Amino acid sequence: MSYFRAIDPFPLESPDWNKLGEFYARLGQGRLSTTRCAGCGRTAWPPRAFCPECCSDRFDWVDLPSEGTVHAFTVQETGLPAGFDGPRIFAIVKVHGHRVFSIIVEGDPGRITLGQRVSLKPLRIADDPKGNPRWLPAFTPV
Amino acid sequence: MRKVALVGAGVGKFGVRKATYRDLIWEAGKACFDSVPALKPRDIEGLVVGSVMPERTAFQSHISSLAAEALGIRPSALSARTEHMCASGTVGLRYAYAFIAAGLADLVMVLGVEKLTQPTAEEAILNMGAGVDREWEAAFGLTAPPCFALAAQRHMARYGTTEEQLALVGVKNHTHAAKNPNAHFNKGATLDQVLCSRMISSPLRLFMCSPITDGAAAVIVAGEERARALTDTPVWIRGTGQALDGFQLTSLPEDYAHWPALERTAQRAYRMAGITPRDVDVAEVHDCFAIAELIAYEELGFCPKGEAGAFVAAGRSDYGGDVVVNPRGGLIGCGHPLGATGVAQAAEIFVQLRDEAGARQVPGASIGLTHNNSGMGEHVVMIYGREAP
Ligand SMILES: [Zn+2]
Repeated sequence: MSYFRAIDPFPLESPDWNKLGEFYARLGQGRLSTTRCAGCGRTAWPPRAFCPECCSDRFDWVDLPSEGTVHAFTVQETGLPAGFDGPRIFAIVKVHGHRVFSIIVEGDPGRITLGQRVSLKPLRIADDPKGNPRWLPAFTPV
Repeated sequence: MRKVALVGAGVGKFGVRKATYRDLIWEAGKACFDSVPALKPRDIEGLVVGSVMPERTAFQSHISSLAAEALGIRPSALSARTEHMCASGTVGLRYAYAFIAAGLADLVMVLGVEKLTQPTAEEAILNMGAGVDREWEAAFGLTAPPCFALAAQRHMARYGTTEEQLALVGVKNHTHAAKNPNAHFNKGATLDQVLCSRMISSPLRLFMCSPITDGAAAVIVAGEERARALTDTPVWIRGTGQALDGFQLTSLPEDYAHWPALERTAQRAYRMAGITPRDVDVAEVHDCFAIAELIAYEELGFCPKGEAGAFVAAGRSDYGGDVVVNPRGGLIGCGHPLGATGVAQAAEIFVQLRDEAGARQVPGASIGLTHNNSGMGEHVVMIYGREAP
């Protein structure tokens, strides 16, 4: 028995379990999307099912551009959590005015620069406990 | 509101400890009660325990009752646990302060305890991911070092802060820790050692980061009358503040080198205490990473925005300077047992303002400040004085 493996570090993405399930369904199709409040029209990042401006819980899904620029980044070489390998490029990617936290995959850690253009590259992670595929919104250099 | 003071404080040995969660509680309780011989556990009316992840590391909830049992305390006015990530200890102190100030309790112990280093280092780090947003951050493998690395990158780009200036925070705090027998590290560090230590998350190197540490600390807080009866040298709580800018990295202000929540928190605490930043003699600030200490100098008003690198390089945050920052060795030198950190900071100010800090005494210290944060977006400040408010 190795008890830390009983911890699932990833979100439950299925719409059966998550109000934001549509986000992950679209991500699996290569689309980056988010919520637009049906009450006041504000677009949020990350997507959310309650609007702090107008208190509405109604929202629509809108697609975002799949390209953005690097607003801030760091390369973590050591000290990563169990199950995650280094070097790992963490970045804040500016997409259509939103700051998106993500990682940059398939890029040379020594060549990432501020302002660099990157595009969406959905990252397949471990299946959920029911065997459904799961994805995270990662980016890769253009 | 009633006046409130610390009347006792004690800290256990911080480090990679061959000790259980309960052992750590016993050690801090013993050290704390030893500092107030007139008090026994049965005299304590309230207990607040700051602890972040015992469910993961010790498979233990129901923390305040566990600690009460271990120390023989029978709470009659207040018993609670505070979980507020890295600031849990100071948040617990604020609860004790408010209960006593309001007259709902008279004598409260605040204990912080964390057993982080089990069973393996990688798992301890995985657990730390619970402190950021699991769905939008931790799922990517994010923990604290990359967050603060973003602040360092920005501070260096905007203000010209150098890697050497970051390293000097590590040198200072490791050097201070060498005079603190309870610190995780006792060997000190040279500039070369810090600059050559391995890269954790660029530009932050190992000796610019706080380690994963076990530890516990406790203080006893009392109302004015009780405090004066117990000791001739109570350490008074003069001001406090707490503010949040955001939880996720992407909801914080865009400029990661500017922490408005800390600036607001500090202003509020200074106003309440009736002092200015220049009045602070000794400060325990939350140097989870070297960049955090530099940004704290600026937001706390010790130096103008952007000048923290020069401030540390000129020795102005060390003995003989404007304000001695982190005399016990800070989180970098002492380690960062999450829930224990804020309480250990208070315990250091307690001994400093009573002239009981021995080899690390700040001469004549009469105003002390602690700053504890939970990520870059949430900050808690306490101000203490030798003189009653
Ligand atoms: Zn709305």
